[in-house]
Amino acid sequence: MQPQKHILAFDDLPILLRQWLRSKAVIGPLARQDQPGFYYFDWIDPADADVERLAERLASGYVTTTIPPKKAFFPTRETLFNFAAAGPVVPKNEEHQEPFLLIGVHPCDLAALSLLDTAYAHPPADGPWRKRRSPATVVGIDCLPDQYCFCTSMETSGSRDACDLFLTPITSGFLAEIYSEKGKDLLRGIRTEPAQPRDIQEGEEFLHKKEAAITLSLQAGSEEFAEILDTVDLTEVWEQTAQRCYSCGSCNTTCPTCFCFDVEDTLDTNLTSGRRYRSWGSCQLLEFTLLAGGANTRGERRQRVAHRWYRKFLYLYKQFGHSFCTGCGRCSRACTADINIVDVSNDLIKRAKEKR
Amino acid sequence: MVVPGLEVPVDYIPQQVDVLNVIDEAPGVKILALTAPQGKMTFVAGQFVQISVFGYGEAPFTICSSPSQSDSFDICVSAVGRVSNALHRLKPGDRVGVRGPLGHGFPLEQVLGRDLFFVAGGTGMACLRSVIADCRENLSDYGRLIIANGVKTPAKRLFAADLQLWHDDVRTELHETVDTPDASWQGRVGVVPDIIKDVDFDPHNTVAFVVGPPVVFRFAAQNFLNKGVEEKDIYFSLERRFQCGVGKCGHCQVNDLYVCQNGPVFSYSELKSRSEAVEATLPDN
Repeated sequence: MQPQKHILAFDDLPILLRQWLRSKAVIGPLARQDQPGFYYFDWIDPADADVERLAERLASGYVTTTIPPKKAFFPTRETLFNFAAAGPVVPKNEEHQEPFLLIGVHPCDLAALSLLDTAYAHPPADGPWRKRRSPATVVGIDCLPDQYCFCTSMETSGSRDACDLFLTPITSGFLAEIYSEKGKDLLRGIRTEPAQPRDIQEGEEFLHKKEAAITLSLQAGSEEFAEILDTVDLTEVWEQTAQRCYSCGSCNTTCPTCFCFDVEDTLDTNLTSGRRYRSWGSCQLLEFTLLAGGANTRGERRQRVAHRWYRKFLYLYKQFGHSFCTGCGRCSRACTADINIVDVSNDLIKRAKEKR
Repeated sequence: MVVPGLEVPVDYIPQQVDVLNVIDEAPGVKILALTAPQGKMTFVAGQFVQISVFGYGEAPFTICSSPSQSDSFDICVSAVGRVSNALHRLKPGDRVGVRGPLGHGFPLEQVLGRDLFFVAGGTGMACLRSVIADCRENLSDYGRLIIANGVKTPAKRLFAADLQLWHDDVRTELHETVDTPDASWQGRVGVVPDIIKDVDFDPHNTVAFVVGPPVVFRFAAQNFLNKGVEEKDIYFSLERRFQCGVGKCGHCQVNDLYVCQNGPVFSYSELKSRSEAVEATLPDN
C-alpha cells in the first residue's frame, strides 16, 4: 500500500504527544534513570510526561531498547486467569488494558511484531496476544544503527510492517507516512502539509544513510542460510559456540521474535485461590526440555545453541516463509559471553561453503 | 486436515470436571476417571488432554479409555512430577481442569483391513489402551491384533484386567515380558522389542503402533524394519512436557515439529531424520 505522506512540524510533535496521552494509554521509549544511554518501553504517565524530551528523543534517534516492544502485547509475565480452589475458574485478567498506543518503534521491531502476529495467528490463534494486539495502534520511527545492528541483512531496515503511522526526521520536520485509518486519526487536530518530492527524497536518503552506516552483514541470504542449516553438518561450530555459551538465556529474553513461554500456577497466601500465569520461556535453559522422569531431549549445551539457530533461521523460515531474525542485534548486545549472532552465523556459512 | 475449533483463539482456560473414581493401578500409578467436559468427550484414540490441578499447574495425559465411552474418560497418572503427585492425592468428588482433546491420534482410518502390532514399553500401555479398546470394538475393520507389553518388573504391569481379557480373547494375541522377574512371574523375560523378532507376522500387511521410552522406540523400529515393515507403517506416540498444547509455547519441539500439534502420533518416516525424536540425556542414577 502506498501511504499518504505528510510533513509534521517538529514543534507539533509535543502537542500531538499530549493529545495522544489524553485520549489513550501510551507505551513508548523511556530513558533509564539508573543507566544513562539505555532505554526501555513502558507506560507513559500522562500526569508526569515530559513530552518535550520524549519528542526530542524521537527526533534525534534513541538507541535500541534492551527489551523489545513485544512486551506491550506479550508481557514478561501475564495472568491467564484466576482460580479459587473450591469454586469454578474465574477467567479474569487484571492486566487487560483498553486499546493502547505503542509509539517509537524502530523498523526492525515493526518487522518483529509482524512476525509475531503471524506466529500467534497460526491456528489456533493465541487469545491473549490477539486481545491486546488487535485494538492497538503502532507508531514507528526511523533510527540510527550501532555496531550490533544488521537489519540490512535481514531486509528489515526499511520495514513498515505492523505500523499505523511512521515518522522519519528530516530537515522540515517529520515525514509522516500514514498506513491505516488509525494512523490517520492520530494526526487529527494538527495541521500537516502534504510532503513534497524533496521531502520524500530526504526520507529515502535517511534510510540510505542508515543502511550505509551498518557494519555487520550476514554472508548468505535467508533462503541460502536455511538451506545450509538444513543440509550441512555443522557440529563443530555448535560445539565451539557452546564452549563459550553460559546458557543464561539473555539472547531469548532480549529477542524481539522469541515467543516461547512457561506456564505456572501460584497460590495466594490463603492457599485456596491463586492465578495461572505465563512468562517468557527460554530454550537455552536446561529445564526447557526436561521431561517427566528426568530425561532431557536437549540436555547438551551444543544442542540448545544449535536449536536457537535452527529455530530462527530454519524451522520458522520453513513454517512461515520468513527468517525469525530481524537483525536488531539485541542478542549480541546482551550476550554475557560476547557471542555475536552475526559472527557465529558467518562462521556457519563459511564452513558450509568449505565443505561443499 | 482441518480440525474443528482451530479457528477459535485459545485462551488457555480449562473447563472444570469432577473426579469420578481413583484406582490404584500399580505402585506409583493411578487411574483417574473424570467426567467429560459439558457431558461429552469426543476424541480419537491417541489424543491427549491438558489436566490442571489448580495451584499446582497443568500437565498432559493421553486419554486411556475407549473413544466409545463419552460421558467420562480415564487418564493414567504416574507420580513423577508436581502435577501428577497432586493428582495422586485427589479423591472422588474433587475437581480438576481439563483442556482438550488436543493433537492428532492414531490414524485408524488409514489402516483399515491391516494387521495391527501394538508395542508398549514401561507405562506405554497407558497410551495404547485406548486404541486397542477402539480396535476391539470394531474387530471386523482390522486383521490380526498383536499386542506386546513389556515392563521392568511384574509389579509394574498396568491394566491387569485388560491384559487378562486380551490374553483370553482369541481375537487378540498378547505377548508379555518383564526385564526382571520375581517369584510370581512364569512368563517371558527380556526386553519388549525382542518380541517383534519372535512373532510370526506378515510385514507387508502389518502396521505398528509403538509407545515407550526412547530405547524401545529405537529397537522396535529396527526390529520392525528388519522384518520388512515399511517405514510409513511404523507409528510412535511421543511424550513431551506440553505447556500450551497448541503449538505455541515451544517446549515440545522435536526439531521443526511440534509434538503437541503435529503429533503426538508420528510415523517413523517423519521422525527418522529428526535427531530430537528419540535422543535424550538421561538423569544420573
